[in-house]
Amino acid sequence: MRACSKPACGILLLGWLCLGSAVMAAQSHDGDVAIVVHPDTPVNNLTLAEVRKVLLGERQYWNANIPVVLLIRAPVARERNVVLKTIYQMSESQFKQYWIAKIFRAESATAPKVVYSNDMANELATAIPGAIAFIDVREVRPGTKVIRVDGRLPGEPGYPLR
Amino acid sequence: MFSRLLPLLLVSLVTSPLLAQSPPQSPPTEPSVQGLLDRVEQLERRIAELEDHERKQATTTPPADSGSETGADIKSVEAGATPAPASHSEHMGTATEEREAQIHYPSLQIRGFGDVDFSATDQKGSVSGFDLGQFVLHLASPLSQKVSYFGEVSFTAQPNNTYELSVERTIIRYDYNDYFKLSFGKYHTPIGYWNTAFHHGAWLQTTIARPQFVKFGGTFIPVHFVGVQAEGNIPSGGLGLGYNLGIGNGRSSNFSKAGDSGDVNDNRAWVANLFARPTRLYGLEVGGSYYRDKLTPTPGTNFDEWIASGYVVWNKQRPELLAEYANVHHRDLQTSQTFNTTSYYVQLAYRLPWQVDKWKPYYRFEYIHRPGVEPVWDITGTASVVDLVGSLVGVRYDITNYAAFKGEYRNFRQGVGEPRVGGAFFQTAFTF
Repeated sequence: MRACSKPACGILLLGWLCLGSAVMAAQSHDGDVAIVVHPDTPVNNLTLAEVRKVLLGERQYWNANIPVVLLIRAPVARERNVVLKTIYQMSESQFKQYWIAKIFRAESATAPKVVYSNDMANELATAIPGAIAFIDVREVRPGTKVIRVDGRLPGEPGYPLR
Repeated sequence: MFSRLLPLLLVSLVTSPLLAQSPPQSPPTEPSVQGLLDRVEQLERRIAELEDHERKQATTTPPADSGSETGADIKSVEAGATPAPASHSEHMGTATEEREAQIHYPSLQIRGFGDVDFSATDQKGSVSGFDLGQFVLHLASPLSQKVSYFGEVSFTAQPNNTYELSVERTIIRYDYNDYFKLSFGKYHTPIGYWNTAFHHGAWLQTTIARPQFVKFGGTFIPVHFVGVQAEGNIPSGGLGLGYNLGIGNGRSSNFSKAGDSGDVNDNRAWVANLFARPTRLYGLEVGGSYYRDKLTPTPGTNFDEWIASGYVVWNKQRPELLAEYANVHHRDLQTSQTFNTTSYYVQLAYRLPWQVDKWKPYYRFEYIHRPGVEPVWDITGTASVVDLVGSLVGVRYDITNYAAFKGEYRNFRQGVGEPRVGGAFFQTAFTF
């Protein structure tokens, strides 16, 4: 087997590096998890701390007439892992224990609704007033409203849910 | 000449069988492919219209989910928004999911808690052995978008081999918004942190036992409260303030019980609790409460009771810190004599990162100091609150998300001049 010449090897290596970095860059942007709400929800921008309050069940109403309806992906889904790690900062078991304790302290009547696909999350977020869901930005469908987190949309530098 | 015709011949031989296999021309009377596609499109449009109509009809029926994080039904909400544009197959699937999500009020959720314990101490006259802890049923049921019910009943084994059934909480709550929620019923009194954070059900708490000053059946603070309570958030930006305000019957003549069947005197107790959960320090909660009541332990004897308490909690698991302080002030309304009993505890725990976060070692120090003479605590002739100083150290192992083993060693001195008592305690606590 004949070894390739030095310039040819260099070009090949450079090509691989460019391809690898392009793939990594694409993955980092495509992997953002969008926070989507029902289009009538009266919010466009939330701070990460406000998102956390909503997810912890400390804020249960968008306004007096629209209750928050939490939709969260079932275990193992990447969107759920991002939400647990970034917002709740809890493990799976801590998250489950948190909600059992929350409900039976009489602080919340219901736990987050489990959705089994991004399609289901899209559909319920569109159909249920007050719904808030976490969906891979590539799979967000028209009919929902993507809200900014700390003023940033998915894909923008500094967006926290990735 | 032959060589020129040979390719033509080969092409002809190869293509003729293929042409022979091609389907015959459709007769002009059958519909064309385009016609069929148009027909499919019309039917899809018709199905979408029907589903849209069905969804609009469902606006009066609140949807909830078929599955939630606690295995319970979800909050009721109004349906009926315009559906998202979606492909037909997706639309059909999610419409089914939405239909499955429909619920009717009330939507009852039941969760049980139980524990089995073993104890062995070096206290004189004590016997080691197993015992069943409380068997507890929690009930929660949204009655509408803004009205919900919570209940809690416990079955506690008694020394004569019977069980005492007790309604620990029964609360109906109306939510106006996040800032004002009004409820009526029987609560765990919002004094300090532990008493409202951990209910009956040992699985909820890190340790085997509650601190002595919030012990069930104890008299240091009124664990239960019957009346009306307002609660909610206070608009305070990043400070994350919240409040509870309650007015109710206060203690009954048996100080460890609430006045479930009525007030023992014509005087209401009230409680005010203020807490903060700063957004910049996620996991931190600080709070303080004030409770006031008039006690009538026996006819003709009356005492004012003021309970002041404060707490600091860091409820992340690495570490977990709970520290509470409470002072119970009694004043004899006839002699104006005053009596103060003080208690505090500090509990530290740390969820170890190994083995999927299953291990959680912990330590707690507890302290209670009361005056030598305290007519309220001694009203029945035997002291219901005694001096206490001691520590416990243990470990919790979460065998699953819903069951845990705990083992701890305690060393306490209860009562002035009494010897210290050590003991080993084990528990398996679970929820189901």
